[in-house]
Amino acid sequence: MRLRLTPSRIAVGVVLLVAVILCAIGPYIFSDFFVRSILTKTMWLGIAASSLIFLAGFAGMVSLGQAAIYSIAGFVMGNLVAADGGVDTALSPWVGVILGLLASTVIGLVFGAVAARSAGIYFLMITLAFSVLNFYFWGASTDLSGFGGINNIATPGLIGSAGRDPTRLFYVAFIVSILVYLFLRYLIRTPFGITLQGIRDEPTRMRALGYNVPLHRVLAFTIAAFIAGIAGILFIWQNANRIDPNSVNLSATIDVLVVAVVGGLFRVEGAWLGAFVYTVLETYSKNWDLINERFNTVIGAVFLVIVLLSPGGLLGIWDSVRGAARRLGRGAAPATEPGPAGGGGPGAT
Amino acid sequence: MTHPKVRRSRLWLLLAVLVVALAAIAAGCGGDDSAEPAPAEPAPAEPAPAEPAPAEPAPAEPAPAEPAPAEPAPAEPAPAEPAPAESGAASGEPIKLAILSDCEGAFAAFYEWDIGGAQAAFAKYAGGVPKGENPSDGMDGIVLGGRPVEIVGYGCSNDTADKAIEEMRRLVEQLGAQIVIGPLSGDEGIAVANYAKEHPEIVVLNGTSGAQDTTLKVRAPNFFRFNSDGAQWSAGIGDYAYNVLGWRTAAVVGDDYSFPYTTNAGFIAEFCAAGGQISARVWPPLGETDYSSWVSQIPDDVDGVYVGVGGSGTVPFFEAYASLKGDPDPAKITGNLFISDPTFLGAYGKNLIGSVSSGPTAGDANTPEAIEYNKTIDETYPSIAGSGPSVFTYNYYNAAWALTVAMESIGGDVGEGNANLLTALSETVVPGAYGEIKLDENRQAITDNYVVQIVEDSTGDGVPDVKTVRRIPAVDQSFGGTFTPDTPAPDRDNPTCEPRDLPWIGNAEEVDYSSGATDTAATESTG
Repeated sequence: MRLRLTPSRIAVGVVLLVAVILCAIGPYIFSDFFVRSILTKTMWLGIAASSLIFLAGFAGMVSLGQAAIYSIAGFVMGNLVAADGGVDTALSPWVGVILGLLASTVIGLVFGAVAARSAGIYFLMITLAFSVLNFYFWGASTDLSGFGGINNIATPGLIGSAGRDPTRLFYVAFIVSILVYLFLRYLIRTPFGITLQGIRDEPTRMRALGYNVPLHRVLAFTIAAFIAGIAGILFIWQNANRIDPNSVNLSATIDVLVVAVVGGLFRVEGAWLGAFVYTVLETYSKNWDLINERFNTVIGAVFLVIVLLSPGGLLGIWDSVRGAARRLGRGAAPATEPGPAGGGGPGAT
Repeated sequence: MTHPKVRRSRLWLLLAVLVVALAAIAAGCGGDDSAEPAPAEPAPAEPAPAEPAPAEPAPAEPAPAEPAPAEPAPAEPAPAEPAPAESGAASGEPIKLAILSDCEGAFAAFYEWDIGGAQAAFAKYAGGVPKGENPSDGMDGIVLGGRPVEIVGYGCSNDTADKAIEEMRRLVEQLGAQIVIGPLSGDEGIAVANYAKEHPEIVVLNGTSGAQDTTLKVRAPNFFRFNSDGAQWSAGIGDYAYNVLGWRTAAVVGDDYSFPYTTNAGFIAEFCAAGGQISARVWPPLGETDYSSWVSQIPDDVDGVYVGVGGSGTVPFFEAYASLKGDPDPAKITGNLFISDPTFLGAYGKNLIGSVSSGPTAGDANTPEAIEYNKTIDETYPSIAGSGPSVFTYNYYNAAWALTVAMESIGGDVGEGNANLLTALSETVVPGAYGEIKLDENRQAITDNYVVQIVEDSTGDGVPDVKTVRRIPAVDQSFGGTFTPDTPAPDRDNPTCEPRDLPWIGNAEEVDYSSGATDTAATESTG
């Protein structure tokens, strides 16, 4: 299946390219603060949100468990490498990274095997319960989470001290983000991805056609857990090399959802757009006297506006504008592209 | 099919939202641009140290540590900006200062008190002029040791360490703060002390966070705490419970994080040192709203309960206690400073008339220092009048006061890498309203502590008053040798309960301020 190059596709490509180039030269044109607190956070938060977008937008599974999953990778790594707090082991940071990712993936598989058999609101609730359980587990297991969190977690030499020089961490996060993005884009076009989208739209019909629906959903959840795990590792390095149970409380869970919805639940790239907008708003709105301590109100308002006006998120607005412009330009002529007209429906990629 | 007109109006709506969103982003980036030079380039004023290892080269500029060594173009001819410390002393370069507190979470109610405390000290000792009715409206005209001070921002955390770090980064790296007063709560303090260690170019004066590890274990050379820690705040109460109230067994309850671990550790250490036994330790999570299941874990056969539940949880805890175990018997309840805090007294104090707690302030003290201090708070910020005896106001006030004293002593010349300021702060003695404050070798306060009793309202405002009954002079962080850098940090199980020798058991001074001339009772009323 060959994509046609339409003006709007070219426009999207150009915007993406500019964003990537801006990020690539980010450390040379932005302040250290911007690179560390905005761009790097955008990368890991975007990865976390992309795992949710993959689940919600392409498998129809709105999960509130992604923050819990990324915390598992983070805590496992924190306990396995040298750190203040947690279990006193000092494996190589890379071994910590691999085992952290492995732990989040395996737990994703096991939990997915249970949760993926439910759907809709029940799936949402079961993943929410998982998040809460995860939060209290780490809060209660202070042998693993430290009293006052796990601090000063050792980082690989490749990252160095991100507190002093954020450049290397940023590039790692940036490259990993691109890889995750390309991987997800690829995945949703494979037969597996197409099947998932079929299951999202018509699970009963897919079952009748002979597909193993639960298996596909479990696999999707496991893949998403792996991706969320990557976010968890990057999160620790960006978060001054520390994690504590409060890092993954309910509000962190909701943050991931807000980012995904703001960016657009139906496009993978929406994850990073949402993460960027969220991080920028969160950071800079506090410098305005009027807003300072009212940041949550602002992000709540943005969230509401987006949900009401554009269920496809900020990227959905782009789709709406494009569709509207086309209609204005061509009068009542029927759209030639299957793209969603009003609010970015599924399949917009 | 939607009507075309409806579609068009929808389109305009969408466009409007897009414009607003873009404006928000643009304004955000603008904020960054304007602030960028500050954090990014303070250092390159010099030929620039070749690479990292910033602490050693000791070039003439103050802050080589963090942003500079990153790498960018150090050869450049010194941007005509910062170079904060050294030359600034002569030229009167403004010092950038920030105040970090909590505006969300369990302690959000104390946001204005914290900022107000710090700024009231600046108003009194450094010429600060409030910009508005509320402390967070800002303050102009502060001069420390001849150097003008600009308050670049207020940190708005939510009692989690992650948010405190985020806010520190914003204040220091984006807004360019060189000196930070804060944070508020225990875990935040540990994280901020670690942050300070990694950023030797800044100076941090603790706000009111009271976890023990912050100064006993982290020991950042540029982190100063002019308030006592949670354990010190408990000095005197274990002795009182054992020897005056006659308890032999007790249960302790506290929020499940480092500060209550520390206050409860002080009670446990002292109560057990005197000969008492701890029957149960119950730790509900911070931010809990229904304490029933936790109250039910308190054994019925204990002689008393020590309550270390703070912030927004204190009232719900006692309500759950009353519904499960009947109205609390004041002789069987003691607690950390939260149960004698003006906010709590206003909300629930009537039910606890006679209970004792302890803390570093004596709300009814009628010494000239205490009267003057409370007057300063009330006159500078009528909006927070009456909050003087609260540790939130008091500790932030003393931190700012200490900074003022230290800056005066060095004439505003903070020296290379803040060396002069760090030395001056270590040697600063603050004649605090409720007792002199000096620092130990870990830059941790040694100061007096008080046992206070909740008594009937005598001022007619309907809020119970606090009567100070004992003073324990010059309590140090080691708590008479109980805590050292090598002992386990206070946690759910530590310290263990064992008899020890504590210097002040049986030696606390009995005090009675009610016999004094001046009526200072108004100072305890809530704002």
